[in-house]
Amino acid sequence: MKTLSISGLSKTFVDRQGRTVEALAGFDLDVAAGEFITIVGPSGCGKTTMLRIVQGLEERTAGSVKIDGREITGPGPERGFVFQQYGLLPWLTAARNIAFALDARRVPKAEQKERIRTALETVGLAAFADHYPRQMSGGMQQRIGIARALAVDPAILLLDEPFGALDALTREILQNEMLALSERMAKTIMFVTHSIDEAIMLADRVVVMSARPGRIATIIDIDIPRPRAGRGEEIRESPAFAHHRRQLWEHLMAREVAA
Amino acid sequence: MSTQPTTSQPTLPARPRRGLGRDSMVRIATAVIIIGLWEFFGRQANPLLVAVPTDVLVATWDLAKTGELFAATGQSMLAFGVGFAVAAAIGMLIGVLMGVNRTVEVALDPYINALYSMPLIALVPILMLWVGIGFTAKVIIIALFAVFPVIINTLAGVRNVEKNYLDIGKAFGAGAWMSFCRIVLPSATPYIASGMRLAVSRGIIAMIVAEFLTSIAGLGGLIINYTNQFETAKAFVPVFVLAIIGNVLTAIVRVVEDRLGAWR
Repeated sequence: MKTLSISGLSKTFVDRQGRTVEALAGFDLDVAAGEFITIVGPSGCGKTTMLRIVQGLEERTAGSVKIDGREITGPGPERGFVFQQYGLLPWLTAARNIAFALDARRVPKAEQKERIRTALETVGLAAFADHYPRQMSGGMQQRIGIARALAVDPAILLLDEPFGALDALTREILQNEMLALSERMAKTIMFVTHSIDEAIMLADRVVVMSARPGRIATIIDIDIPRPRAGRGEEIRESPAFAHHRRQLWEHLMAREVAA
Repeated sequence: MSTQPTTSQPTLPARPRRGLGRDSMVRIATAVIIIGLWEFFGRQANPLLVAVPTDVLVATWDLAKTGELFAATGQSMLAFGVGFAVAAAIGMLIGVLMGVNRTVEVALDPYINALYSMPLIALVPILMLWVGIGFTAKVIIIALFAVFPVIINTLAGVRNVEKNYLDIGKAFGAGAWMSFCRIVLPSATPYIASGMRLAVSRGIIAMIVAEFLTSIAGLGGLIINYTNQFETAKAFVPVFVLAIIGNVLTAIVRVVEDRLGAWR
């Protein structure tokens, strides 16, 4: 398990009209080893930008990202990423999509077969190894996306609105699977979402961001005991959940009104 | 671009079988009527200028018997094959280079577009002056005609790779070469394949033009020679062979295209 330490992270870019846009302005966050962080905020608050910088997909303007105290300079094997729109290559089968990531990480071929099988079993799709993305539902495709991130066995898992495009029921099922995985595998996780309920359900701490320029508005500790996997309905109906929900609403609404 | 006339598709998917059978009947009937009319009116025209279908059949047998038809087809196809292969290889190379390197693109883009749009036939006499009228000349002319659609489509394919796909490679630490081979190329394949399809038809036109104007060999040579001798029936034979070759080659490219694009 690894810790993640983000400080003073900023990103400005120049848009098409030549205006300077401040997407992220001084984002500071320390994530403990094995901690589950969710990040919510209005669209355009820079939460995805922040996550992409941490993964090494985007350049930062200023600030630092450290893993176990060491500054990162690009993508690394200790981080796995799950994309918004599943991020599968459509011309590869499920197994080959995972093999692609393993090849990129230089995992020996001999070891790959076993890793792919385990990863697919973990997300319950062992029977779909030879299916192409278009032959699978959105929920299945995102399970493959998660399986791929797990197959490279990262200490830190970064997920960018992974369930945003799924229907409500599939979403709840995958949230529960996510809980089970995280509680079993002890990984450090940052999970970006625009759903308040999802943020509370999954997190140890919820980071609320404000828009333009993107920075942290508040951080809320979620006071719901673990393990939570399999207790979705019970948790959703609990007073603690309702309390956190109101807390988050107030923070997000206050921002909206102020803006 | 589809050569299948869409209007001939059965509009009621509930009974495709009967629809298909009926369509084939209509097509056969149309063919019979056209050939019949040709035979009927052709017989009333000057036989020196117009050959009727039965004459063409006899002429086909004659040309096949002497081996002339097969020799000419062989010559044409050899030149086409070499020319097309050269065009495909050079076209993909230039297209990829333009796609990955902006300097190369800026340097070449105006010439590629200008040459693609201009009637290249205008260049053929000058080319003959430079490279003569033999096999090499034929190959060069075919390659020249066929290369531009390959370049332009390869470039478009390499260009239009979704950023999301490239992000996948980047996120998992794939190097530039791996990303190119396993993301850019597969994603560009449908574009390249349609470039090849265009290249086939342009290449066949080039082959005939080259044979008319230069070597007086191959199928184009047969057409010119027999037309000059007023043997119209024999001149028609290579025309039909060309029609068949054109359709077969396009069908082959389609099959390859479908195989490569099975994931879609």
